Amino acid sequence: MEAVVQTRGLTKDYGSVLALDALDLEIGAGTTGLVGANGAGKSTLLKILLGLVPATRGGARVLGHEIATEGPAIRAAVGYLPEHDCLPPDVSASDFVVHMAMMSGLPRVAARERAAEVLRHVGLAEERYRPMGGYSTGMKQKAKLAQALAHDPRLVLLDEPTNGLDPAARDEMLGLVQRIGRDFGIAVIVTSHLLGELERVSDHVVVLDGGRLLRASSTDEFLDATGVLLVEVLGDDAQARMAQALNRSGVATVARGTMLTVDATARASDQVDVHDLIRDTASDLGLGLVRLQVDHRHIEDVFATDGAGASSPEVSHD
Amino acid sequence: MTDPTSATPEGGSVIHDLGYRPYTGPRLGPAAIARALVVTGFRNAFGLGRSGKSKVLPFVLLGINLMPALVIGGVMVFVGLKRLPIGYAQYASTTQVLLGIFVASQAPVLFSRDLRHGTISLYLARPLPSSTYALARWSSLLGATLVFLLLPILLLYAVALLGELDVTDQTRDAAIAVGLALLLALALTGVAGLVASWSTRRGFAVVATIAVLLIGNGIVTAIQGISQEEGHPRAGEVAGLFSPYSLYRGLMSTWTDTHGPTPPTGTAMQAAYLVVLVALSVACVAALVWRYRRVATA
Repeated sequence: MEAVVQTRGLTKDYGSVLALDALDLEIGAGTTGLVGANGAGKSTLLKILLGLVPATRGGARVLGHEIATEGPAIRAAVGYLPEHDCLPPDVSASDFVVHMAMMSGLPRVAARERAAEVLRHVGLAEERYRPMGGYSTGMKQKAKLAQALAHDPRLVLLDEPTNGLDPAARDEMLGLVQRIGRDFGIAVIVTSHLLGELERVSDHVVVLDGGRLLRASSTDEFLDATGVLLVEVLGDDAQARMAQALNRSGVATVARGTMLTVDATARASDQVDVHDLIRDTASDLGLGLVRLQVDHRHIEDVFATDGAGASSPEVSHD
Repeated sequence: MTDPTSATPEGGSVIHDLGYRPYTGPRLGPAAIARALVVTGFRNAFGLGRSGKSKVLPFVLLGINLMPALVIGGVMVFVGLKRLPIGYAQYASTTQVLLGIFVASQAPVLFSRDLRHGTISLYLARPLPSSTYALARWSSLLGATLVFLLLPILLLYAVALLGELDVTDQTRDAAIAVGLALLLALALTGVAGLVASWSTRRGFAVVATIAVLLIGNGIVTAIQGISQEEGHPRAGEVAGLFSPYSLYRGLMSTWTDTHGPTPPTGTAMQAAYLVVLVALSVACVAALVWRYRRVATA
């Protein structure tokens, strides 16, 4: 399958700021998280992909269209949810989404049907007939998402869709983002500076730092294969006794807060499963084993490891 | 990890609640999109498709604007005058304050509102180029201004025909007034649209437009009055080049029997009035297009 987005040496130089620095990137179907600190070049990349801002050097193809020459074709097939406010307060969500669907070329009747459908999907019920000026932030974000989906795009660019939302609304929005990529069959590029939320919804993660590509891989690769188990036990001096006992059995442990981390790969050749060993050790010591889980990495770790390497170019990764 | 599809028997038929249905219908081209934008903008200029209170001002102004024509209509019907008490072209000049307020207050609806609320970025993320967007907005305002200018002419014309005045004369006068109204609407739309496109604040745009149109006209009228009194009408004629309203009055004096103060004399000056009025309109439209091209790439 053809890549949804493909950039070649994409560079945007604002003079004072180098927003994108020779970016080579390939983004496929599904949901892709675009991660980076504020000013990492995420919003600039989205605007360039829409064909709104010209690139200084290099180029990109979006859905098979060249950004430099086929901007209108790209914008007809892409939905965009900007980071900032973009809703007129004196218009209802219903009227607004109909209008925006028509601005993407849908005939009036079709635009009405689409608007009703996408508003149902994003979960705006009766309030869709009220002026949007009175909406909560969560409702506004839903209306913004609805207009991005109104014309049934093949790709949506969501710039910080969870910005300013409370935890419940954030969960709902992330659930919607996940459904768009998975159930609606629309490719999604979603940006965030909160890394944790992208782990949950995206299939792939692209990390930008200072306009450069820090890392691009599937979310699973980011999160898995740490090979570390987290163990938590309850009892008198439980943690120290557990650590001692495990060390005697030849398993290395490191204390992390109230928990122990156990390197599960160390005994991979042994016949005894590490999980069994931990269970039996805790049982022998008479301690309550309250936690035994795989330690998932967080995307934040990428910044701690890859980020350190990227800052000194001479260091080679092994 | 379990396979989420494993619950479905192999080859068995299931009812999928996919929920989301893709759109497979037609997608219209830029011309149809632009037309839809013009129509929506035209409706919005009168507050239609917006909140209830945004309808009040445009319709009150429109009502007041039509009042004199209605009164004249009543008088014509009951008294039976031999000629209209006010010329078709003169009407817009008489109600210029209302016209100025209407254009000044409704231009921000079409131009400032999208900039203020960031909606412009949604338009720019869609197929229409920024220049077409600017022209569509301008067309909406032009349409609304023309409704404001042409309705009284139409009403007076109907009254004149009902009053059994000479059809040929009336049609000729009304046609000239329509042409003049079009020129005035082009200029006012350009000026008000341009001011509103530079302001994200509605209030500022309204005040600035009124200042440019009405106060500008006031100054020009004062100069024209003084130059007339002092016996230097040429100074007044030159001053008349600096306001859309005085340009309109100048052309009205040239083409109809109604005369304003210091009408342009000589073919060169009369041509200059026409050229300046058209050039002003064209320059404003060009500046609008340029302005939105800048917004798009910012």
